[in-house]
Amino acid sequence: MDTDFYTPMRLDEVESPLQDEVEKALGIDIETCMECGKCSGGCSNAHIFDFTPRKVVQLIRLGAEETLLTMDALWVCLSCQLCVDRCPSGIDIPRIMDYLREKALREGYRPSRPAVVLFYELMCSCVERRGRVSEAPLMLRFNVLTGQYLKDLTLGIRMFLKGKLPLTAGKVKKMDEVRTLFVSWHRRSVKRG
Amino acid sequence: MNESMMGKELTALVIGGGPAGIEAALKIACGGYRVVLVEKESEPGGLLRKLYSSFPRWENPSDRIGWMVDDLKRNKQIEISLESTVESVARTDNGFNVTLKNTATGGARTIDVQAVVLATGFGLMDLSAYGEYGHGIYPGVLNSLEFEERLREWSRGLGKAPKAVALIQCVGSRDRSKGYPYCSKVCCMYSAKQAGVVKDLFPEAKVYVFYIDCRAAGKGYEEFLREVIEKKHVRYVRGRPAKVLPDGGRLLVRAEDTLIGIPVEFTADVVVLAAAVVPHPETAALAKMFGAPVDEYGFIDHDLRSHAKCADRVFFAGGCGFAVDTESALSQGAAAAAEVIALFNGNG
Amino acid sequence: MIVAYYPGCSLEGVAREYDRSARLVCERLGFGLQEVPDWNCCGATAAHSLDHELTRGLSARNLATVGRMNLATVTTPCPGCSIRLKGAAMEAKKEGGAPEVMHLLQLLTEAAGTEKIASSVIKPLGGLRLAAYYGCLVTRPRAVARFDDPEQPRSMDRLLQALGAETVDWSHKAECCGGAFAASETSIVVDLGGQVLEAAHQAGAEALAVACPMCQVNIDTRQREVESTRGVRYDLPVFYFTQLMGLAYGFTHRAMGLKRLLVNPLPLLKRKGIL
Repeated sequence: MDTDFYTPMRLDEVESPLQDEVEKALGIDIETCMECGKCSGGCSNAHIFDFTPRKVVQLIRLGAEETLLTMDALWVCLSCQLCVDRCPSGIDIPRIMDYLREKALREGYRPSRPAVVLFYELMCSCVERRGRVSEAPLMLRFNVLTGQYLKDLTLGIRMFLKGKLPLTAGKVKKMDEVRTLFVSWHRRSVKRG
Repeated sequence: MNESMMGKELTALVIGGGPAGIEAALKIACGGYRVVLVEKESEPGGLLRKLYSSFPRWENPSDRIGWMVDDLKRNKQIEISLESTVESVARTDNGFNVTLKNTATGGARTIDVQAVVLATGFGLMDLSAYGEYGHGIYPGVLNSLEFEERLREWSRGLGKAPKAVALIQCVGSRDRSKGYPYCSKVCCMYSAKQAGVVKDLFPEAKVYVFYIDCRAAGKGYEEFLREVIEKKHVRYVRGRPAKVLPDGGRLLVRAEDTLIGIPVEFTADVVVLAAAVVPHPETAALAKMFGAPVDEYGFIDHDLRSHAKCADRVFFAGGCGFAVDTESALSQGAAAAAEVIALFNGNG
Repeated sequence: MIVAYYPGCSLEGVAREYDRSARLVCERLGFGLQEVPDWNCCGATAAHSLDHELTRGLSARNLATVGRMNLATVTTPCPGCSIRLKGAAMEAKKEGGAPEVMHLLQLLTEAAGTEKIASSVIKPLGGLRLAAYYGCLVTRPRAVARFDDPEQPRSMDRLLQALGAETVDWSHKAECCGGAFAASETSIVVDLGGQVLEAAHQAGAEALAVACPMCQVNIDTRQREVESTRGVRYDLPVFYFTQLMGLAYGFTHRAMGLKRLLVNPLPLLKRKGIL
């Protein structure tokens, strides 16, 4: 079931397989949340979140899976760890956000911020190919693929001239060990759109 | 041995001279028995002496404790031993040999008592675990007892008038990550009182209370709380603040208004932390000397049959058992006295 | 003391000066750094945002490599890498042994200590007023980082004071700079990084000291954008704390790679008589 916030939610019909899922997969006890909001008061990006961290936890209890998997907050959460450090019940919200991001992508939901996901994917493919990230090619590919050919051009040149963006970087020798990890990841995400 | 035959020969030791201990001592004396009241400070009165105004009737706690201390001092049945602590205890057939130490002179003496009332009161948790609120780091961040002192100063025209005050509830209480899952019970009401006092002293000041739940269960308590909101215009925001940041000599409080669901900020001159109520560290040590049980936090636990009894011939009252407001401390003091009198009358 | 050293990707790229200065000051303090052979990227925010198992696998491979080095401790200058390694070590400890993972700031302040750090100072950084900026992952999440007070961190302040510098009390020591969003959601970095800069500026700092490549890059390279957005000129150089240690230990500004910083720190250092 899901929320549209304009018609009353039928609480007697609420079931949250997601809550069970989160509790089983992550070992996080959602019931310990008292909705005090301490997570959200200090959240670095709460002012641009469509759902504050507190609401995310409550939405899990309400089983509002679709809302959670399509919300913008997923892709602007910084994983800065302020929320979990302050939570009186120690609820690991950053871990929940990771879980939801993973689930959203696996189930083919279109992320509200495609550039953020693209950047993550490019970075991971960099690691998949070389075992390490080389920042200059990563930035170039990102800007080309997002069509922002001029974005940060001056900055990029300044950084390049300062030697901050070397075009070559180290590479892992035993790449087979790294590739194995990616092969199993791709196998896990076959369902993805 | 029929103890009632011994009449005035029987003595009760009351440890702690706050409202609970004083009430116990007065009532035991009324019952015709002798009392030795031990107080570690140089004056009786306990926490009540430090408070400014009270709920639910805006009375001056100093007046009340003043009358009680007068009664105490006038009572010939009661010996007050100030600046004293219990050094050691030996259980005897019908009571205890208790060695008292005078902390000022270093002198010690041993007395025989036939019953004991523990009334050592409560304290506030050490707030250094809450780096996010900066108590002990930013001068404007006070715990609620320090704020009582500030209210006294303000009422005497001392100190700088505040433009804005934030009161944060449940600091430590209801926070299992810091070890205090319980509700400290008294903070909702004393914070409403403190907020109301600030508005009385400085009507222009903006006063916000950040709470999770408002617990006003008591005669006249809800009405008191509504008065603070409706007549004195204190504002309540539901949300536990996340961080207090220094901000150009003032303090920026960051929270979520959890009823609207948006982040809010409030710049204050003073931030008051309603710290969790905890037992004094010496309470557990004393309880051990007298064979009384304590819970995981160090509060005294009662036995199965009586809420005022914790071991054979050992009773307790007030904050050493858990957080109490003044009314409850007095009732518990009287209840402990009733137990002592019943025991001494031979019916206990 | 021989310590395994995991540099991480940034230290081969945008943060090479962090790597160079870290190696030099560690050597000066008697730490023999042995680079973890054939290390791989920890996956950073990208991997943990996309797949938990992937991020675990990447860190587990690194940790296993460290295990084969037979050293008790592994250190890394990057907080992102350090928190990933610490997480992996926590899991490994449940099933047996694991090396101690320490962020470089932790290694220097806990294993060497401020006294030792101070005793190697040749050219004290007198008169330099710094804002020690810790960011997120040096101390958070506290259950994994197990270092300093995440809300009121002081380790870097003490270290900088041991070098003769002054540190300001300020509000944003442990706030986030915008992390991994520099490229993909630049406005977030300009917003959060801007708040950090403003707070340091308000507190009277002349420069920031950082212990994280991400913090350095965000606050340094986006400073012009922040300045034009906010209409304020900050001109606050953003040093790696190891660069400042190196200067105090008598290394040249070239050896410390100071020219690689975008906000030029040389005028400030000359004004203070440090260069």
